[in-house]
Amino acid sequence: MVDVAILVSVGRHPASGQARRAPSDARALELAFGLPPGRRDALHAGDPTNPALRDYLGMGLERLTVLAMAEGRDPTDALAARLRGLSPGIILTGNQAEGGEDSGMLPYVVAQALGLAIVPDVVAIALDAEGRTAEVVQALARGQRRALRVELPFVATVHPAAPAARPSAFGPARRGRIEVVPVDAPPDAFLTACAARPWRDRPKRLSVGAAGGGTGGALERLRAATEAKAGQGRVLVEPSPDEAARAIWDYLQEQGMQPR
Amino acid sequence: MVAAALSTVTLTVLLVGLALALVQARRWRAGRAAAVDLWAGLAALPGRYLVDVHAVVGRTPFNARFHALSAGGFLAALALLVVLALPPLRHPALWGLLALALAAMLAGGLMVGYRRRVLRPAGLSGGRFNRLPLALTGFAAAFLLVAADQSAGGVLPVPVGLALVALGGWGLAELVFGVWNGPLKHAVHGALHLVAHPRPARFHDGAGRDSGLRPLDLETADSGPLGAGRVVDFAWNRLLGFDACVQCGRCETACPAFAAGLPLNPKKLIQDLVLSLDEGGDDRAYTGSRHPGRPVGAATSGPSRPLVGPQAMIHPDTLWACTTCRACVQECPMMIEHVDAVVDLRRFQTLELGATPAKAAGVLEELRATDNPGGRSLDRRLDWAVDLRLPVLAAGGTCDVLLWLGDGAYDLRNQRSLRALVLLLRRAGVDFAVLGAEELDCGDVARRLGDEATFQDLARRNVALLNGRRFARIVTADPHAFHTLRNEYPAFGGRWTVLHHTAFLLELVRSGALTVTAPLGQAVAYHDPCYLGRYNGETDAPRALLDAIGARRREMERSGLRSRCCGGGGGAPLTDVAGERRIPDMRMDDARASGAPILAVACPTCTLMLEGVVEPRPAVAEIAELVLAATEPTR
Amino acid sequence: MTARRRDPRAERTARIVQTEPRRRLVLDPDAIAASSGGRPRRDPRARRADATLQTAPRLRLDWTGKGTGAAVSMSAPGRGQRAAPAAPPLRVIENPACLIFAALDRPDGALSAHDRQLLAAARLLADAVDGAVVAVAPDGADDWGALGADRVIPLPAAWAAEYAPERRAAALVAAIARWSPLHVLFPESPEGGDLARRVAAACGERLFAGVESLSASRVARRAGGGATELSCAPSRFLSIAADAVAPLGAVRHEARRLDPPETSPDAPKLREARRLPVDPDGVGLGEADFILSAGNGVTDWVVFADLGRALGATRAGSRVVCDAGHLPRDRQVGASGTVVSARCYLAFGIAGAPQHLQGVGGVERVVAVNTDLHAAMIKRADLAIIADAQAVMPALLRLAGEGGHG
Repeated sequence: MVDVAILVSVGRHPASGQARRAPSDARALELAFGLPPGRRDALHAGDPTNPALRDYLGMGLERLTVLAMAEGRDPTDALAARLRGLSPGIILTGNQAEGGEDSGMLPYVVAQALGLAIVPDVVAIALDAEGRTAEVVQALARGQRRALRVELPFVATVHPAAPAARPSAFGPARRGRIEVVPVDAPPDAFLTACAARPWRDRPKRLSVGAAGGGTGGALERLRAATEAKAGQGRVLVEPSPDEAARAIWDYLQEQGMQPR
Repeated sequence: MVAAALSTVTLTVLLVGLALALVQARRWRAGRAAAVDLWAGLAALPGRYLVDVHAVVGRTPFNARFHALSAGGFLAALALLVVLALPPLRHPALWGLLALALAAMLAGGLMVGYRRRVLRPAGLSGGRFNRLPLALTGFAAAFLLVAADQSAGGVLPVPVGLALVALGGWGLAELVFGVWNGPLKHAVHGALHLVAHPRPARFHDGAGRDSGLRPLDLETADSGPLGAGRVVDFAWNRLLGFDACVQCGRCETACPAFAAGLPLNPKKLIQDLVLSLDEGGDDRAYTGSRHPGRPVGAATSGPSRPLVGPQAMIHPDTLWACTTCRACVQECPMMIEHVDAVVDLRRFQTLELGATPAKAAGVLEELRATDNPGGRSLDRRLDWAVDLRLPVLAAGGTCDVLLWLGDGAYDLRNQRSLRALVLLLRRAGVDFAVLGAEELDCGDVARRLGDEATFQDLARRNVALLNGRRFARIVTADPHAFHTLRNEYPAFGGRWTVLHHTAFLLELVRSGALTVTAPLGQAVAYHDPCYLGRYNGETDAPRALLDAIGARRREMERSGLRSRCCGGGGGAPLTDVAGERRIPDMRMDDARASGAPILAVACPTCTLMLEGVVEPRPAVAEIAELVLAATEPTR
Repeated sequence: MTARRRDPRAERTARIVQTEPRRRLVLDPDAIAASSGGRPRRDPRARRADATLQTAPRLRLDWTGKGTGAAVSMSAPGRGQRAAPAAPPLRVIENPACLIFAALDRPDGALSAHDRQLLAAARLLADAVDGAVVAVAPDGADDWGALGADRVIPLPAAWAAEYAPERRAAALVAAIARWSPLHVLFPESPEGGDLARRVAAACGERLFAGVESLSASRVARRAGGGATELSCAPSRFLSIAADAVAPLGAVRHEARRLDPPETSPDAPKLREARRLPVDPDGVGLGEADFILSAGNGVTDWVVFADLGRALGATRAGSRVVCDAGHLPRDRQVGASGTVVSARCYLAFGIAGAPQHLQGVGGVERVVAVNTDLHAAMIKRADLAIIADAQAVMPALLRLAGEGGHG
């Protein structure tokens, strides 16, 4: 038994720009569903009429509390105050928002405000029998995993490698309740100071042959620039199996895939 | 004495049968209400039986003959037996007539016996069904002797006569009670089903074909669950339809999923629904083929229990293995609508439970967020055709032919056939345009996966979009879009002339806009897409087109309206239920057997599924590609 | 990125190589070696010979004066002997106008490429305001001066190996309180990004996260789900995205060590951190780093599985292989399966259907073994071997078993 609060945001599809449930927040909710049943409070700060919020209800939530505030407001104080009142054992949220400032600061600020520990990039949470501590698994780069122990209450951000979120269903999404709590939030001065414009892709910086690499000559840079992803590498025609194996092995070592 | 016994036995059995039928009717009333014109249905019943049902049964002439003999003889005999119950009418001539009817029935019964005991088609169920020939022949032979004896004035000793009446009475009871829950269900249930059929337009007295799915009411929020989660969530006339199944196994023989060893047997699926009508019903008594790889007798069901689930009557794999190809509907002599049932069950799974299989659920989520199942930007739908400079029809614009590109525009392989189609339209001087980035997915996949909400959203927006443009007709190379636009958008206010590109190209060739300069001259097998053939009855235009470009056409095993699915419909590649074989591999075997080096296809999904079969195999070519090659202008 | 603001005085100081008997400056940093004996002299002939990379089949020259790849020089006959690049002059910033902190990751105790880029970013900000770059990192044997750090605040070396985000954050907060740096830079990596947010939250400030473009006056990053670019003057806390800034060229700085501030040893709340053993086959394909993939050309599934185990690679397969049930469906690579982004993709017996090639679009290096020289997979491969996959697999398995000493 543990009370869980889930902070959810509204995402934005990268191709279409349409509002949707934010994928890692949905995974956070999925992780919450997998914990021993206690109270589950889902919180959102923003526009309560956004239809994308219903996607979370469609996952089986009965109620979503929205701290209603206009765009460009700083939600951290309001969220922290609300969470202080709920005093959940675990606060879950996605580690990447999409569609807003996307700085990933919010869970940290909340944890700081509430004086809680924060565990990033979580993929699994297992509570001990008394429900006082949790064994948490984190996702690291290249599929690696790290386990650690943390005392409740704590904040966890959920990694995209966590178990996939269940689909959102239309019926429950329609029936779920959105509870609107109007709050007074100050304008976000930090964001207001930023200029925003549509993103334009920049050419990717080549890592090979850049200054300071030390060994990059013109030929190497030329090769790096033209080869990029086109393949056209070395071809061995009809080698003996042992030659072939040796060539593969050496190449794997060269690429750092095998210990030398 | 013997005659009186005969009449008593006959009337008793018939009355008991009638009572049982009424008991049966109570079960259907548990279903949801449905708007049914009973009087029109009753008036149309004889025609539907004699024309539509006979057309299906007549596909196997042997079956048609024994049905005519045994059913005709039985009905005539019953009528005569009722008449002969009145002592003043017991005239030797009537006895003679009865004897004639019974003789016909006996012949039919013997044919049934021959089929069940000697031919033994794999699709038949056993159990009570195996007693059918005995009951038929027993009843007919015993009463035949009695009738012959009576017409001759009664020469048989009374005990023998009574024994014969008893034997015949057993046969009659077996037959009449078989109406209740056995081999003769189609006699009453089938007739009632034809009266209250949910798709009256599919019969010869209607449009002759009705394959578009019915919209689900999403506006009224408290009208009960969306789709069918329990058997009573079906409309009552659907329940009646399921109950009309006599387990003849024709659906099973036609079903591509069953043939590939996927865990779906349409006949068993309908029986699962029928068994769920009774509380505590289980399938231990079911004697037909199972859902391949699934056990029998493991689950119990009831009218208010969940139908689908790992422990429920219908395993989710069974539900999601269906390709919605309609082969079962096409073959069903009782006009049962299997695909409607599958979609209703899927609607509940998707809309209420979110229990769509993983990959399909991901596609639906992308579809909701981007209006195309691949999750791509709509701006990029025309990327493949940058060099073609396709005219885009803006709001208020006008053109003759609106080319609906569909999701194939995002696929490398299908871009090739779309390119061929565009070049052909240019060559023929057609005034055409595309919708470009404004075209949304037609919603076919969403609807077949049960996501009616997403489908209706897409449908409404597409209809509004198209109604804001002026064009004479829509042409599309995707039979799924063709079917959706033509048959399913009218419910949302979209009524246009929609053509499949094969029909349109044929028109262009026939009108001389396209000239065949290099006849193909090769053997070509044509694979009918389900959504063009069975869903829309279009099997001639593609064939005529192939003939026109000089292809030496060969028919594959299972073609035309009885074509076998490529395995790509109904979201089946997304739900990806494992079987013993792959459906496209089996279909490719049909193509190989035809010996043709080219397999012509007319659907982007078929192209992908069939081209995914490991070589060696016939080359897969879209018809437009073949037409393009055959109409190269000569200089 | 705008051009770095020039400070002629500093540049001049940096070039001083000799003050007695008279002051001498280096004009071309690359020519330092040649000038070490005395006044630099230009020898056009020698310079041309130096710049010659290859003469056959066609002449290639490299006038940037940077590269002397050993592999290239061996394969290029006629190439002149290049002078080894000499150490650049030491640059000392005695009284910096301000400090720029660079909180380096040093994952597993070694400086990453991202760390080097971070130092370059810090250098850029520091040079604009006559500031000094302070590297804050777990101590190690790195030559901090050559990496561009004017000062170093060493943290306990053990922190590089263990997971101690709270202690690192506390140390940084203390250092920030003591030295009040103008900017604090972090790498936007899993650990660095976490640290950045911890420190910013503890300092009650906001983080401008994942900077993609950096100049002394403006930083910009993606926001709004990647659709918008947010930009502003560099804020105090910045985290720099990977590959956003080029690493520094040859430099030499003082790397004066500062004493790390004392921190109160709070008991960390995250305890008992340990790496979990990862079964490569348990890793999701999308996450996998090294994939061993099988196609139609593979028939011996025992050897294939053994090879996967021996190489520590995640097993995968083409659609046909998964259809046939040799591998589960979630192991299918391709447009209809999983689109993978491994660093290395070792493909046995895969011809490369378009759908499959779409699935390996994000792979860095492809090694393909296939009998058909014209297969699409061979064209895509960085190392292609035209041979029977069935014969090569056991040989490679043997070699892997012997650790490469066959």
